[in-house]
Amino acid sequence: MKSLFNDIRIIRTRAVARKEFIHVVRDPFSLGMAIGMPIMMLVLFGYALTLDVDNVPLAVWDQSNTVHSRDFIAQFSGSRYFSLRKRAGSYAELVRAIDTREALVAVVVARDFGELIAARRPAPVQVIVDGSDANTATIAIGYAQAVSRGWSERVRLHDSRRIGAAEVNQPLDLRPRVWFNEELESKNFIIPGLISVIMMVIAGLLTSLTIAGEWERGTMEQLVSTPVKGTELIVGKLVPYFAVGMLDVLLTVLMSEFIFHVPLRGSVVLLFVSAAIFMIGMLGIGILISTQYHSQLLASQLAILVTFLPAFLLSGFMFSVVNMPAVVQWVSYLVPARYFVTVIRGIYLKGVGLEVLWLDVALLTAFSALVMALAIVKFKKKLA
Amino acid sequence: MFERIRYMLRKEFIQVLRDPHMNLTLFLTPVMQLLIYGYAVSTDIRNVQMAVMDLDNSPASRELVSRFEGSGYFNLVEHVDSEDRCREMLDLGQAQMVLRMNSGFGATIAAGRTASLQALLDGTDSNAAGIILSYTSTIVGDFSADLLERRERRLLGTGGGIRGPAERVASVELRTRAWFNDNLESRNFFVPGTVVHLVTLSALVLTSMAIVREKEIGTMEQILVMPITPLEFILGKTLPFVIIGLADVALITSVGWFWFGVPLRGSVALLFVSALVYLLTPLGAGLVISVISRTQQQASMSVFFFYFPAFLLSGFVFPIDSMPLPVQYVTYVNPVRYALVIVRGIFLKGVGLETLWPQMLILAGMGVVSIAVASKRFRKTLT
Amino acid sequence: MAAEQPKAIAVKELEKKFDSFVAVDRISFEVSAGEIFGFLGPNGAGKSTTIRMLCGILEPSGGSGTVGGFDIRRQPEKVKAAIGYMSQKFSLYEDLSVEENIDFYSGIYRIPAAKKADRKEWVLEMAGLRANRSARTGILSGGWKQRLALGCALLHEPSIIFLDEPTSGVDPVSRRRFWDLIYELAGKGVTAFVTTHYMDEAEYCDRLGLIYGGRLIAGGSPRELKTGLMREDVFQVVCAEPQAVMSDIERLAGVRSAALFGRAMHVIAQPGRGAQAEDEMRRLLGERGLAARVERIVPSLEDVFVSLIEAAEEAAK
Repeated sequence: MKSLFNDIRIIRTRAVARKEFIHVVRDPFSLGMAIGMPIMMLVLFGYALTLDVDNVPLAVWDQSNTVHSRDFIAQFSGSRYFSLRKRAGSYAELVRAIDTREALVAVVVARDFGELIAARRPAPVQVIVDGSDANTATIAIGYAQAVSRGWSERVRLHDSRRIGAAEVNQPLDLRPRVWFNEELESKNFIIPGLISVIMMVIAGLLTSLTIAGEWERGTMEQLVSTPVKGTELIVGKLVPYFAVGMLDVLLTVLMSEFIFHVPLRGSVVLLFVSAAIFMIGMLGIGILISTQYHSQLLASQLAILVTFLPAFLLSGFMFSVVNMPAVVQWVSYLVPARYFVTVIRGIYLKGVGLEVLWLDVALLTAFSALVMALAIVKFKKKLA
Repeated sequence: MFERIRYMLRKEFIQVLRDPHMNLTLFLTPVMQLLIYGYAVSTDIRNVQMAVMDLDNSPASRELVSRFEGSGYFNLVEHVDSEDRCREMLDLGQAQMVLRMNSGFGATIAAGRTASLQALLDGTDSNAAGIILSYTSTIVGDFSADLLERRERRLLGTGGGIRGPAERVASVELRTRAWFNDNLESRNFFVPGTVVHLVTLSALVLTSMAIVREKEIGTMEQILVMPITPLEFILGKTLPFVIIGLADVALITSVGWFWFGVPLRGSVALLFVSALVYLLTPLGAGLVISVISRTQQQASMSVFFFYFPAFLLSGFVFPIDSMPLPVQYVTYVNPVRYALVIVRGIFLKGVGLETLWPQMLILAGMGVVSIAVASKRFRKTLT
Repeated sequence: MAAEQPKAIAVKELEKKFDSFVAVDRISFEVSAGEIFGFLGPNGAGKSTTIRMLCGILEPSGGSGTVGGFDIRRQPEKVKAAIGYMSQKFSLYEDLSVEENIDFYSGIYRIPAAKKADRKEWVLEMAGLRANRSARTGILSGGWKQRLALGCALLHEPSIIFLDEPTSGVDPVSRRRFWDLIYELAGKGVTAFVTTHYMDEAEYCDRLGLIYGGRLIAGGSPRELKTGLMREDVFQVVCAEPQAVMSDIERLAGVRSAALFGRAMHVIAQPGRGAQAEDEMRRLLGERGLAARVERIVPSLEDVFVSLIEAAEEAAK
């Protein structure tokens, strides 16, 4: 441990940092993409992408063709959740519609629907869903059930009034209240987490290539023959990438605020501090990979695998981790992005601070420190 | 000409396969990614963490709670008895939904009036929240309908009137069937998509990086001096990756089938033919990237910059139908979109060329254009 | 015996294996302070591997060595502080300007602020790049880059410098200038360890080590090698179309081998049979009616080297 800090000289570190800055600035291609990527991702996620399901394409086959059946179907076509695309006249037509993805849901009203309803007996209706997209299918089924239930209740209420019975009240009235993201705007949910994904991409891609690249080009061989210490080299290399990364964070926060109007309820200072800690850890991973693999191709592949993928899938950014199988949840505890996403969502949507988030912040700090230490220790000033 | 290509191929293959690290990248990482995607990517919402604040503790409230527990979707974590604890559980993320029933709940129902109850949802994950809300509404709605039926029977039975005591009430019974994916396993949806995703990424990264690498290190000049035509060079460089790409398709499909039990109902031959046709496009893109990039760093950034949106706008995770209309139009030029339709069709629906021919045609067209443009730009740098 | 000056470089049974491939096979040699030591050998002989071990950037598999008094295995960082290294690829940053490269290495070697400007000017002057100090390194031609790389390795005025193939791919004029520089430095007491595969450059060195197949097959000053090592006589045969008679000459008694050398032929006689070889050659050429000149010459280093390699290969069989 002593040797890690003993001979560190600022002047050497500064020399490395200055050189790295020059590299970054003189590569406007990469720099442009490093800045452009967050913008692109924000636009995508803020505007285009949503897991919400609307306008599910629908096909219906009304075998009954009575007042009741037409009224029932109208409930579907009039709902914003469904978009009636086809009125089929046969089973084959329905099959074709689903096979070609013209419709994702098909509703089949049996011939005796009208009679059964008139006789106040349960009338079965068949709903066929294209299960290949399970998410949409599940949601669509939910919608279908809601629509159908709504129609049944309307009929019942209508009946009750007609026979003049005392107003039959609905026994239960569910009052849902959504906390933290009242309109259930998925962008409020996604954008804070997006900051972490962006950071992982930049950190992972850029730093994993930097040391491996110097080995490939031969300049690292020259460097390790000088007295420069591993620590100085790593810290010096980190500085400009850290700057670019934090710039990206700033850009993302500003865009979230002014373009997407995602409410930021907590402390901005805590946001940037935790982002900085997380950034250091991510950069550290990139550098660690870079020290072990002297091939840029390999290093970048590994970086994507180890940083971006887990962040995208297991951090809770997009997919709810708490609802995943237990084993997967265990693995997600090892993903630092998970803690960062919790912190960032906490700050943005819940408006909480360190009193709630202290554990996550502490874990992030520990992780970043560990990774950096590992990177420094593992960096060998030798070819082999 | 074929002689020279064969020699180039052999050199590429030896270079690629002899390096143990390369093997890792080519074969192990796709499998690992598949495993991660298969297990982690799931939009199924189960094990919802739920807390209950039941201030009433009557048969009605208890019956409702037991319905939640018995639904298979909810996990009752705690019975809460204070506001503060309620708030705390939501703040800390210990509960995703808290059901609140005030005292007098049961009595109000028994009296024939409407009793209200509250469901507090953690909205941070709006997708999950929406689904949880719909589960909750369904359970509450079903309970309410049952209560109503009991109520009506009591009323109509005792009040005489037009209907008899055994009279039924009108209701619609929904019978749902999910085609192609009976248990609605989202995994069956994602795994075929993962095949496309991983193969595309591989092709893009390998093609662009491999060529730029030679540029960066300087061995490119040696190659340019060789008596080799641009076409031979392109073929020699890209064919290995086509073959590796197809090997990856086989590998990932097998893992998906054996390990995850994802059904493969269509023709395997068609799967490989489509993969081949599809691969032309990312290969061409990889070539173009290798032309415009000076360093491998630039190449990998470019790949990411262009592939990421293509991936997200392909219908892999996010349904295209839910995207804003202008964006939907944009997806029409995204080759990944068509590849996904084909692959999902082959895996889950078991359909063949008779249904998928439009997509195949479009992919073939895109592939040809892609390679043509790439060749042209590439030729210019070589000569 | 008077106390000897400690050797600048001392290597004993140094070995490097890559898996089962032996790149450097237990070599031993010494270099005195102020010497220009040339490490000569074909590509793949183990020159770069040796130099990297001496610089402390490659871990030896066996043996030991000291550079500047520091142990290369146990004190690599101290070695690095005392030496200058110029790697084979020159290793300058292409996207940095000449000046920026110099500034960078100044910082790395912690040149004191007072001396920084002076040293920078010295390097620029030495490399002839005063006027192009802001030029991007990437656009410089081989010769300029070489001198710049050398300059950067000399910024901190090390007493020992390691140069790995410093003149490969560089034009002859630049090569000449480069060696002038090395002489200048040696004159000031700097020890230079240079690897090269150019035989003519070997003549510029004080002492040489010939390395082949990872083994040191000869060592000594150029003169020693040329006169002492070769027991065989070497003849130069000048005639029209030497390639026509070459194979016949090789089969003559007393002749060991013949090789084309420019437009003439160098013929190596078997040990102790120089006179016989000469007679046989004159007879053959006379029989063929070819006007020729046969004269005994001092062997060039290339002759020495080829002969030594052949001897080594024969011994290996």
